[in-house]
Amino acid sequence: MVTPSRCVASALLLAASFVARADVIEASSTTLISAGQQLRGTEAGQLPELVKVATVYELIRVSAREVRNPLFQDLEISFSGWGSGDLQDVRWDAGTTGKLTGDVTTLYVRGLLARGQVQLRAGREFVAAGAGRMLQLDGGDLLIRLPAGFSVSAFGGVPVSQRFSSRNTASSWNPAGGDLAWGGRLGWTLAMPGVAGRGLDLGVSTVSVTNKSDPVRKDLGVDFRLQPIDMLTLVGNATYSLYAERVAEYNITALITARKGLTLNLDVRHYSPDLFLAANSILSVFTDTNRTEVGGGVRYQFTKTVNAGLDYHALIEPGEAAGTTTTGGEAMGRVEWESHGAVAGGEVGYLRTGDTGYTSLRGYGRKTFGMLFVAGDLMEVMFKQEVNGQKSSLTGSLSAGYQLAKAWSVVVAGRAGVTPYFEQQADAMVKLVYNAVVRVREVK
Amino acid sequence: MNRHLGLVVVAALLAACSANEARPEARRDPPFVFPHSPHVEGDVDCLECHASITKATALENRVRHVQLPRNGETCSGCHDAVPRLQIPPRTRDAGLKFSHADHLARLKGEKNACVRCHTSLPEQKALDYGAPSMNACTSCHNHAKEFAAAKCLGCHEDLKRYPKPVESFKHQGEFLKLHGGLARGGAESCASCHEQTFCADCHSPTTMPGKPSFIFPEEVQRDFIHRGDYQSRHVIDVAANPASCRKCHGSNFCATCHEQQNLVQPPGSTVLPRNNHPIGWGTDKTSGNFHGDAARKNIVTCAGCHDQGAASLCVTCHQVGGFAGVSPHPKSWKKTTADISKNSMCAACHR
Repeated sequence: MVTPSRCVASALLLAASFVARADVIEASSTTLISAGQQLRGTEAGQLPELVKVATVYELIRVSAREVRNPLFQDLEISFSGWGSGDLQDVRWDAGTTGKLTGDVTTLYVRGLLARGQVQLRAGREFVAAGAGRMLQLDGGDLLIRLPAGFSVSAFGGVPVSQRFSSRNTASSWNPAGGDLAWGGRLGWTLAMPGVAGRGLDLGVSTVSVTNKSDPVRKDLGVDFRLQPIDMLTLVGNATYSLYAERVAEYNITALITARKGLTLNLDVRHYSPDLFLAANSILSVFTDTNRTEVGGGVRYQFTKTVNAGLDYHALIEPGEAAGTTTTGGEAMGRVEWESHGAVAGGEVGYLRTGDTGYTSLRGYGRKTFGMLFVAGDLMEVMFKQEVNGQKSSLTGSLSAGYQLAKAWSVVVAGRAGVTPYFEQQADAMVKLVYNAVVRVREVK
Repeated sequence: MNRHLGLVVVAALLAACSANEARPEARRDPPFVFPHSPHVEGDVDCLECHASITKATALENRVRHVQLPRNGETCSGCHDAVPRLQIPPRTRDAGLKFSHADHLARLKGEKNACVRCHTSLPEQKALDYGAPSMNACTSCHNHAKEFAAAKCLGCHEDLKRYPKPVESFKHQGEFLKLHGGLARGGAESCASCHEQTFCADCHSPTTMPGKPSFIFPEEVQRDFIHRGDYQSRHVIDVAANPASCRKCHGSNFCATCHEQQNLVQPPGSTVLPRNNHPIGWGTDKTSGNFHGDAARKNIVTCAGCHDQGAASLCVTCHQVGGFAGVSPHPKSWKKTTADISKNSMCAACHR
């Protein structure tokens, strides 16, 4: 019987044979051991149970580019995946009930044809173009660049689920789970003389996802990018739900580079949360409220070593009574200093939504001493309303790493905190990393 | 899944090992030995040492195009004897398609034309070559069309080698917040430098083993969304921007944890779930805690526990002829002309 894992194993073996024919190979391996505690709920009225979790992970990433072949230019094979073993209780996000598990994050072959005018990709991949919303699927996509700046792309496949389990919407972790996804985008680009990037991009796209023929998503999207002058870029997109016959979202951003080191952005974002639920969810038929975010940000490079940024968005949300709105707010400020292998920064965050929200403070730093680095991170969150009876949460991490020989490095990290759910929380991690780029191109 | 996990891991390791067996890129090349600036300032023609570069039609690693003058005439103005220098080999691949022969032919007759592009030259003991920036190219060549169409491979053999964005392609300002919008129309431009494995670090909660801040605790500068104690913040964040969560996480992802916290009763469990809902949640519309009002404001929070398709708890009361009695659909709800019996979601209530 052909199982998903056998398919993956075969695909990996095939990929390995391709890798041997590549001119550029990037390989990375991360072995990670983490130990800590997690909560498990018990019956009502009883305290939750604390369980010990210790997990060994092996993460592998291999990319082979410029694979010699008689058909494609710049043929590329890319794989990232992992396996893990739980030494004690199974962690909450293992995705299975077994102690041994693993998954393939990406595994695709991509190649160019017709002097780069045609791009083909097949395997486990993401669809980012148009209204795709980074849809992760097992399938393929095709991009054809046509004359006069036009391009057309199409994709098809099956949405990915966790650990090769059921792809059914109700049991998949994928927000667009189902058994069939397809769509495409028609684009037009007008390049304007001047600085690189100046021009206009327009696109119309569609995405359809179904689960046993029930619609999960059926959207029509439009997108644009306009850079009329060097200092101004406008980016926008909108998605219309063909199933609900309503606008699911629109976003418009103006990015202004006022002068060197100073950038401003102004944003309007509008969306209907129910249209981000799968259309075959029973909950998607119960509401049609909208939300809007309006605001902007500024970032300035004060000196070569110091930069700062601040942004604020007003959140216009549904009010207590139907048809009314209330306004919250979200802000983030950051100052960062970086010089000679050292980084130090501070952040202040603010969120108010309805009658809840939080204010956060964060400080972080990292310093390199030759082959050694140390990094620290401390974050406090103060809640407007108590969370599990507590008003604040304080967590921190301390990491140290050492660059070993031949592309190997080791990182040791410890995390600890006092949170609304843990009077004391601590976990530790050891990570061994191999990260190398191998070029095998012969002297021509 | 677990049955063939070993095979999967072995295959992956095979792929990784085949990379190791390939000839590795040389370690950092030895320092430069020639002091360029005094010679340029002394008006020594570059071609006195680099004569063969005028015939070079490609950038080739390990081919140096360096030959110190054999007779002493060129050097005798300053040096008593021709200095003896051992020119070390260079192994770093430029990764560009570039013909010095074509470019120098256009600049024929111009003395030291090289410095038009090579504005910074390596000095003795320098480790970095100081390659010309892309401005040197774009000062003559306008590549607006190529940039817009992501046709970088006309000159760049491999853009993915660059550790950080360079020149005008630097992701400055609020790029993190903009990148999604930019990718909608230009994902192929992103793909010139970034493989999807890079995107997957953050965009693949379905198949990644953990959140990015868990895997990379040392990356304190990166804008990870779920940094620190996100367990306590997530309920507030989902209230502020429900769609943001739903772009990456399906309902079952939330339910996986909520079942373990016994907030949702797992299938087959006999342990009653803990009820976190306030008094009046079920039926008291005047309590200020009525579930219908909460659902209208933020249905995504409900989905974190109650999204089991036709088996959802809501159907118990809200099916046609059920206990709730009134239609739960919003006023904007449009009656469909399609056969609802063929849509399992409709059929769950309209039996």
